Amino acid sequence: MASTFVTVKRPFLTLPFLLPSSCEVLSLTPRRSQSSYRRTKQRLRVKPDASFGSFSSHVEREHIIHNPPSSAPSVYHTPAKFLPSDDIRRSLCTDSSIAHEDPAALTPLNESPGPKRYHLNPSDVLEIRRLRTSDPMTWSRSKLAKRFDCSPLFISMVCGASPEKKEMQKQVLEAVQSRWGTKRRMAREDRKLRKESWGRDC
Amino acid sequence: MKRLQPQRWSSSVLSPQVRAGCRLQRRIQHGLRYQTTTTPFPVTEAEAKQPIQDLVPPPKKRSSRSAISKHSLPSPPVKAARESAKLAALHARLYLPARLPLETLARTLVDESADPNPDFNNESLATLGHDLLTQYTSEYLICTYPRLPMTVIFAAMYAYVGPKTLSAMVKEWGVELAVAPGGEVDPGHLQFKRLDPGVNPNQPLKNPNRPYENEATWRRSISSKIVYDDVFGEPVRASVDPRQQVQSADRYAAGVTPEQACSQFVRAVLGAIYLHAGRPAAKRFFEQHFISRHLNISDLFNFREPARDLSRLCARENFEPPYAKILSETGRLSRHPVFVVGIFSGKDKLGEGSGSSLLEARSRAAVASLKGWYLYSPLNVRLPNSMEEEGAAPWKPVHVDLGEVIV
Repeated sequence: MASTFVTVKRPFLTLPFLLPSSCEVLSLTPRRSQSSYRRTKQRLRVKPDASFGSFSSHVEREHIIHNPPSSAPSVYHTPAKFLPSDDIRRSLCTDSSIAHEDPAALTPLNESPGPKRYHLNPSDVLEIRRLRTSDPMTWSRSKLAKRFDCSPLFISMVCGASPEKKEMQKQVLEAVQSRWGTKRRMAREDRKLRKESWGRDC
Repeated sequence: MKRLQPQRWSSSVLSPQVRAGCRLQRRIQHGLRYQTTTTPFPVTEAEAKQPIQDLVPPPKKRSSRSAISKHSLPSPPVKAARESAKLAALHARLYLPARLPLETLARTLVDESADPNPDFNNESLATLGHDLLTQYTSEYLICTYPRLPMTVIFAAMYAYVGPKTLSAMVKEWGVELAVAPGGEVDPGHLQFKRLDPGVNPNQPLKNPNRPYENEATWRRSISSKIVYDDVFGEPVRASVDPRQQVQSADRYAAGVTPEQACSQFVRAVLGAIYLHAGRPAAKRFFEQHFISRHLNISDLFNFREPARDLSRLCARENFEPPYAKILSETGRLSRHPVFVVGIFSGKDKLGEGSGSSLLEARSRAAVASLKGWYLYSPLNVRLPNSMEEEGAAPWKPVHVDLGEVIV
């Protein structure tokens, strides 16, 4: 069967004008012609990069060019800050061999919360607790946070919600979730699974 | 430090039938063999303690020996080891030392469930091999990665010398499993009594030494696993107390799984190498067959709250609090954006991660920084077992860490 295939194929290949140009390159035998050799040499003639080392000072000396392709750093390379004080690599990493970008010039992920203020006193905390237990519907976490100029996390650290409020919130959540269809429910579950996989780094 | 002479103190393990050299020893071996079967000639304890020279083989006992058929024995007779092609092939394939005789190799292939007599099964060799395996592996892990959390050490131990790995090794070594044990089976087969169908092999094991063992819903902490459980952090099979192990015959009456039998065999091979060829050969075998297996330890981690753990770590080690910065990004308004986020402490970068959302990239960067902390490995790691060799350099203490981050 292979022989018949070849006999059919051969006259087709002898007529290159029938083929598109990209197919021609692939189907012909990979014999290196002079033009492709010159092209290869041209490709290899790259512009000297800063990471290649300074050529001007020691041109005659042979050295190794280490210019790996960009990739995520390996977790097995311990950062210099995490090395113990008696490790010899600590002194090697701190010199100017590794060009650090200045972190101050980079874009922050989100606006920093600023320095801690510690402006609430124990009487304020008691007031927060009183308000949240007396009228949990009106004084939600966000409203209390806005009134006392602190974060909702701090409110939850100071006092928890009453059991009735928790039960009510649960019912509200169930009512919302009962309106979800299959697609939305699956998308939510997938999102949760994906979030868990971040911690496993996969 | 002089090397131990294993022959002297391990005489109970290296029972006389493995040295089937002279006629006198063969005589003893027959007496021991009679113990496992119904014999008209029981060997008393005083007789067994008699020096070998006093025993003269009477010729009429020879005829009685030949009367015992192979089918009545629970495991193949010792002399069958020299006739088995499979056994010789296994010995050559594993490149075992020549000092390890074929008879011992045949004994490592007999599980305790097949032959309850401790002189003919591999239980004692497997106990020694298990201790050696776990000691060498844990030394290697703790000295190479001194900051690993305990759960990761448990997982790595299981990956290196756990029963699943050992049974996979048996498959790679080309050892076949006998369908049923017996005296007529080729000694090159692994012999054990199989579990009856319908029996659950994964029944929850109970350790009587552990307090609150009956509280099924209680959480088992890692510290209690270190104290009460085995080297993999799993409940131990039986109590270590030898007084409670008298009924070992009916302990295995139900049979064992192939996985258990295979792992006992591999451990017994290491124990046999240690006894016959000495410590250097055992270490070489361990390096060639166990530590040479590739295990990516960074895959064993699972963090639930990496950002919180990292900030706790920085507070514990008196580093500046960590903060995240965007190193590069592409396609923020497109369907598939990619963000590369770095986590810095002061001016030093701790780690970086990429993701399709800022939150994912930050979380992955925190995971990478935590792994950078935990996977620290000192240079020129020297294991404590190198001190056992003669003329070893004085010991320098290995790096000891504060331990994992507890939030």
